[in-house]
Amino acid sequence: MANVESTIRELVTSKKVVLFMKGSRHFPQCGFSAQVVEILNKLVPAYETVNVLADAEMRDGIKRFSDWPTIPQLYVDGKFVGGCDIIKEMYANGELQEALGSQAQTAAKAATPSGPPVIAFTARAATAVQAARETPTDELRLAISPSFEHELYFDASQPGDVVVDTGGVTLHLDAESATRAHGLRIDFVDTASGGGFKIDNPMQPARAPAVRSLTPKALKASLEAKEKLSLFDVRTDGERATASVSAAIAMNEEGQRRLEGLAKDAKIVFMCHHGMRSRVAAEAALRQGFTDVWNLEGGIDAWSTEVDSSVPRY
Amino acid sequence: MSDHPTDFKGSIPDAIRDSICAALTDAKVEVAGGGGHYTIVVTSAAFEGKGMLENQRLVYSAIAHLMKGDGAPVHAVDSLKTVKPPKAS
Repeated sequence: MANVESTIRELVTSKKVVLFMKGSRHFPQCGFSAQVVEILNKLVPAYETVNVLADAEMRDGIKRFSDWPTIPQLYVDGKFVGGCDIIKEMYANGELQEALGSQAQTAAKAATPSGPPVIAFTARAATAVQAARETPTDELRLAISPSFEHELYFDASQPGDVVVDTGGVTLHLDAESATRAHGLRIDFVDTASGGGFKIDNPMQPARAPAVRSLTPKALKASLEAKEKLSLFDVRTDGERATASVSAAIAMNEEGQRRLEGLAKDAKIVFMCHHGMRSRVAAEAALRQGFTDVWNLEGGIDAWSTEVDSSVPRY
Repeated sequence: MSDHPTDFKGSIPDAIRDSICAALTDAKVEVAGGGGHYTIVVTSAAFEGKGMLENQRLVYSAIAHLMKGDGAPVHAVDSLKTVKPPKAS
């Protein structure tokens, strides 16, 4: 036991940012861990993650070490910062950016072009907003996800909000959404179901990259043609021991470093057992900024039935 | 949310509430949830002048015995809010 403790102490003092989490940076296996990863990804280019699901001793050890009962847990400069709730709040009020230091502050500044975004409501949209408001104390809020899904709703104002007066309508955005809102135009249009808000966002990439599907046959052809691509296997070590594709890189700590070292336009293929977990990992890679991302449809199971029956099915 | 088996007898939300009140005597505690997952809101003057980390630690230490082991009645605290009571004016 004293052993785990010294391993943890060594880890958190030797690395600036360490996240103890369920799953890995590229494949979080719990919603709270995923939320913290998403925040850290925005703020720091590199950080250490420890998957507590892979090591029961570590899982108990870190809870004792921090005197904190839940995972994830974030350490910065050897100091315990907190769990998911605390990190989200610290991110919203800027304390986390401060704790993570100049790197994060520069990243945050670069992400904010110049002051609050300019947003326009058409007269019709402004009228529709007033008509829809039920509680006078609630503010109109707009959230824009990293993949440019827009959500317009009423809710209370939050600390750290960017407030935009658009002439008639006051709009609240969280700081992250505000960076994706420059030049936004909101209209109200007739639809089959009676009318709805239409949001034009000039910052939205013309064709947002999506995960593309790869068949086992196409992957085999690419591998045989020595096409430059990286194939990542997101399954567990146990599954890999049962059945594997020789060209695949295991998505462990080492695999993550390999992925992070690739150019953003490098061709990347993810695979798992049936193609579900690998799709999650592929979508995470897109959010990381990779653009040429493929999912091996059907996973190693389809690989076995379609191209290489010497690979056992399980 | 998944279900988590426990051999705990009685009301888990009550046990959470009682444990927190035993540690923070002035606390007002709201507990919601089930199936091992709980949302807890605690209002107490003990949170005054402390950081969020310390405040959450106070609450977690009060319910630590309910979160211990594989068959623990409390599998996860999905959300924990610590609120300072409004100042009397």
